[in-house]
Amino acid sequence: MPETATKEPGTSRGTDVLVRATEVCKSIDGRRILDDVSLDVRRGEVVVLVGPSGAGKTTFLRTINSLETIDSGEILMDGHMVGYRRKADGTLVMDSAATVAKQRQEIGFVFQHFHLFPHMSVMENLWHAPVRVKGVPKAAAVEKAHKLLARVGLSDKADVRPRNLSGGQQQRVAIARALAMSPALMLFDEPTSALDPEMTGEVLAVMKELADDHMTMVVVTHEMGFAREVADRVAVMDAGRVIEQGPPAQVFTQPAHARTAAFLSKVL
Amino acid sequence: MTFDWSFFWQNLVSPDGAFLDGLWMTITISMVAMAAGLVLGTVVALLYRSRFTAVRTFAKFYIWLIRGTPLIVQLVIIYLGFAAAGIYKFQDTDVLGVAVKGAVQAAIVGLTIHESAYISEVIRAGIASVDRGQTEAAMALGMRPAGTMRWIVLPQALRTMVPPLGNIFNGLMKHTSLLSIIGVSEMFLVAQSISSTTFKTFEIFLVAALYYLLLTTVWTFVQAWIERRLDDQVGITQPAGRKKLNRPAPAEPVTVLKGVNDA
Repeated sequence: MPETATKEPGTSRGTDVLVRATEVCKSIDGRRILDDVSLDVRRGEVVVLVGPSGAGKTTFLRTINSLETIDSGEILMDGHMVGYRRKADGTLVMDSAATVAKQRQEIGFVFQHFHLFPHMSVMENLWHAPVRVKGVPKAAAVEKAHKLLARVGLSDKADVRPRNLSGGQQQRVAIARALAMSPALMLFDEPTSALDPEMTGEVLAVMKELADDHMTMVVVTHEMGFAREVADRVAVMDAGRVIEQGPPAQVFTQPAHARTAAFLSKVL
Repeated sequence: MTFDWSFFWQNLVSPDGAFLDGLWMTITISMVAMAAGLVLGTVVALLYRSRFTAVRTFAKFYIWLIRGTPLIVQLVIIYLGFAAAGIYKFQDTDVLGVAVKGAVQAAIVGLTIHESAYISEVIRAGIASVDRGQTEAAMALGMRPAGTMRWIVLPQALRTMVPPLGNIFNGLMKHTSLLSIIGVSEMFLVAQSISSTTFKTFEIFLVAALYYLLLTTVWTFVQAWIERRLDDQVGITQPAGRKKLNRPAPAEPVTVLKGVNDA
């Protein structure tokens, strides 16, 4: 079993909170991008963020691993603030680059456009960060990389360059690369939006499998089928706010908010 | 017109010791100054990207100052001006058993500083040419800024930087002829002294021109070799037409995922 499985199957998904975002606000050029966003993610939970474009889903996801700054509020990972520390007077101070880098080791991030390293083989994409960042012995990192490649169904692609892979294959490698750091949390930013429809399925299948292994995941996606099938909870964002959240069955069939209903009528 | 063919051929095919020493001096100074200029240029480029305004301003000021003044003036200030003002006097010394004249040290310092301003701009542009997503991906994996630069950005920037850096080195080899002004006995100064003793001005400078041409031609081939090597190592795709792109493999059916947990 891959090490990324945080719990044995069968144990109930934990109730302890892994990520807690509280009243996160962010403005760019006077425009509110995030407006008091609060969201808890429990260990082993899969939360899918949906909503119209420009709702702030991607921005919020990126604040969790400090790819975006925030103006106020706080994000706790495992009880510790990420990206900032709070001074005695309550104001936020940015953490140093080294501290933020350390925090990010716990958080895997999968980008819409993969961003594999083109100058490295698929294999090196996978072992590079564990070896250079965490100091994992290379042999161990390579062994783990092989396991992860097998897990995403790309064992035969270990030595090729990313550019020789299809989009779907690249995204599966990108997922494996993030998993190679043994993160406690995986963030997915529209992982299938840049893919042709026939490649979407192979990436979603890998993600579903990861969810079945009780990886804690936050996923921004427009794939409502995936949300319905895999999510433990769906959070709907609109105009920088989380307007509604709940189990997919509830949100999709009995939306409490008119904006949710309007959005769903367009995408379902 | 009188052209002494035998003098010309003799100096071209078997130049005398002084000329060869001058040629060697040109080559050595070029290579040392380029290597040092790359280091200094990288430092300046990184300063230019600093978070701190004062540091960025310093880098901009440095580039403005160095690019805005002629190399020949810089050389004279560094060697003669500094000595005259009592700021610094380059003394003849031994480096690893090789006697290095003060003028040669000043030449290397001057050329290094001069070229570093141009090199830093090339490096800055090269860094900027790498997709921002590469930096984000590296940072998301927990890499620090320095590691991201070293392992992810610079290797990819390098391929874009080689052609303009090659231009700079080509220019640098010819700039060494200006070193004659501070008395460095490189190829041009040697040619000048041969000219003044033999009065075969046209012949000897033609020989010098052909040797400069030889140096830059050899460099053209070396640069092409470096570019080919980087294409293989860095794995950046070639401009359309030069090399056929590998077509992506067809998407595999999702069924390959079944049972991979057993692996």
